[in-house]
Amino acid sequence: MNDPIKAGLAKGWRHIDAATLTEDQQFEADVVIIGTGAGGGMTAEILTQAGLSVIMLEQGALWSSSDFRQQERWAYPHLYQDGAGRKTKDQAIAILQGRTVGGSTTVNWTTSIRTPKPTLDYWQAEFGLDFSGEQSLAPYFAKAAGRLHISEWQVPPNPNNAALKRGCENLGWQYTVIERNVHGCANLGYCGMGCPLNAKQSMLVTTIPAALEAGALLVSRVSARKFQWRGDQILQLDAVPVDQHYQPLSSVKLRFKARHYVLAGGAINSPALLLRSKVPNPSGRLGKHTYLHPSVISGALFRDAVSGHAGAPQSIYSDQFVWPKGDEAGFKLEVPPVHPVLMASKLTGMAELHAGMMQKFNHLQVMIALLRDGFHPDAQGGEVQLDAHGEPVLDYPLTDYLWRGMQQAYLAMAELQFAAGAEAVMPVHQDAMLYSSWQQAKTAIAGLPLKTYRAALASAHVMGGCNMSGDAAKGVVDANGSHYQLQNLSVIDGSVLPSSLGANPQLTLYALAWRNADLLAARLRG
Amino acid sequence: MQRRQFIMLGLAAGATLATGLTLYPMFSEADKTQQQQDASLVLDALLPAILLGALPKGEAEHQEALQNTRQAVLDYLPFLPKRQQAELQQLFFLLSQQLTRLALTGHLLALGELSLEQRLQLLSSWRDSYLTLLQQAYNGLRELLLAAYYGQPAHWQALAYTAPEFRAYE
Repeated sequence: MNDPIKAGLAKGWRHIDAATLTEDQQFEADVVIIGTGAGGGMTAEILTQAGLSVIMLEQGALWSSSDFRQQERWAYPHLYQDGAGRKTKDQAIAILQGRTVGGSTTVNWTTSIRTPKPTLDYWQAEFGLDFSGEQSLAPYFAKAAGRLHISEWQVPPNPNNAALKRGCENLGWQYTVIERNVHGCANLGYCGMGCPLNAKQSMLVTTIPAALEAGALLVSRVSARKFQWRGDQILQLDAVPVDQHYQPLSSVKLRFKARHYVLAGGAINSPALLLRSKVPNPSGRLGKHTYLHPSVISGALFRDAVSGHAGAPQSIYSDQFVWPKGDEAGFKLEVPPVHPVLMASKLTGMAELHAGMMQKFNHLQVMIALLRDGFHPDAQGGEVQLDAHGEPVLDYPLTDYLWRGMQQAYLAMAELQFAAGAEAVMPVHQDAMLYSSWQQAKTAIAGLPLKTYRAALASAHVMGGCNMSGDAAKGVVDANGSHYQLQNLSVIDGSVLPSSLGANPQLTLYALAWRNADLLAARLRG
Repeated sequence: MQRRQFIMLGLAAGATLATGLTLYPMFSEADKTQQQQDASLVLDALLPAILLGALPKGEAEHQEALQNTRQAVLDYLPFLPKRQQAELQQLFFLLSQQLTRLALTGHLLALGELSLEQRLQLLSSWRDSYLTLLQQAYNGLRELLLAAYYGQPAHWQALAYTAPEFRAYE
């Protein structure tokens, strides 16, 4: 099995592991891109191919296919933000977000969905953002699909996803076969730990190699600390290496100077860098309105083995409840991959109760419901703050409105799981038990306390914090990602989204990045 | 939580806030050793309780699983943000000191001297406490310890789970 990254490095791609640097150093390029995920990776390829010199910065390390181990105990500390231990300020919601070259695209579950039309309509109405007609993202969805081999998954869904499909069929609920960005996928089920076969068309194996091939420099294990700026110009970026646990070091100082800076650190780290830099913030929205698609979980026991760890982790979703007629919080139904650490840590309880459920591991089917936040006055998201170490922490209040949505989601998941043939269903909530019929579950769920720490909550999608808006008073950047106050700064990542999406974000981010990097390239070539 | 315990917790929290910074100046080597000892003490007491029913039956395997899991937790902690590390260290410290432990647990005995049943009752009381701090402690420790245990391939047999290996091509 070849490793295209190791092969490229052997033939001279420019990569610096900042953790090996022992002296202060200054770097210069036309453009410095901070972050190598969906936004940064896509931008790097487009700008290098436009003939611009590019430096890519990444806080994580340069791991590639021959490094990836199909073990969570290796993958989580090395490939995820905060060792996959990232949580909201009150520790109520666990946040899975990538931190490695390729960002979350290296560890995501490959689900590729175009921005839903109602979301675009909402952006137009609320933020004056027009992505219709000539401004349509459709050509960019098509380009991204071509570049990243995005197509409908032709292989039958694994039993975990098949249960979702079967439940929908039996209830007459809507479902969709998922499009995935894979090429030569062996249907293993280990997308979340880095693809060992280079089948997932993440930034790590597509745009970043292309940028490196075209002469870009990649600096890994570096933490961007602060922009130095004056008036409407960024003068330089101050950065430091990180240690073997990815913690910023203060021993060596690195300076990056560029004509233009592209911020692509994701919806928590990008606002944090701007907050540390105390950049102008007249709209008051910097770091605010951060959305999570907060998700509740429901487990079900089936007579036949489900083995949710094997096979494409996500191949079916249901939008039956994502756009309700009333103003209640909509939710999308999906399934997660079921691996031992993810399951053991999310499953409630301890001792014999927990051990007993773990012994039924292969018979456990798991559903998640992702709430669509950001579309209602009572779901205005969270706020990125800085802790005493200057690191970001997301304060995300859970409102009654969201809790009501979560209760509806528990009900929908249990109904679906029974309709799919489950013998028993257990909402993942401290006060829930295994219920053996839909009637029993329905009554019990109605009585579950809707409280922080009682419900197991998770997020794999972080959005907002540097939101785009047609109106400078309501946003941090414009529709092209250009910062409203700093002329040589663009933000191209999930932080620009002015609401959650109601869909998994990667394809929206690829399309937006392609569009805005094209515009930036034209502007810089002038 | 009973009223007496709540008052004691207030005292303990006050004492920690007043002295916490001087107790843990800034991660010197001596502090790190002390912190590891505090953490190990708490982990060694809680692991056999939380993992009851999961741990291997044979005495030697049982001990090995406990030691490896304690080590897995200690190896993982440095990957957490410094803020979270400090919060956990604070908890380990409070549980290792007699006065504050009394407040948090309602027992004068060290955690390791309580019966497994008492340790589980203690964890349940945190889970159901109306104090955010204790609910966070329950959730945080529970996740940390269970993740460390089930991260080890040696413990996958009970799950009938195996992971593919692709490292042969190196």
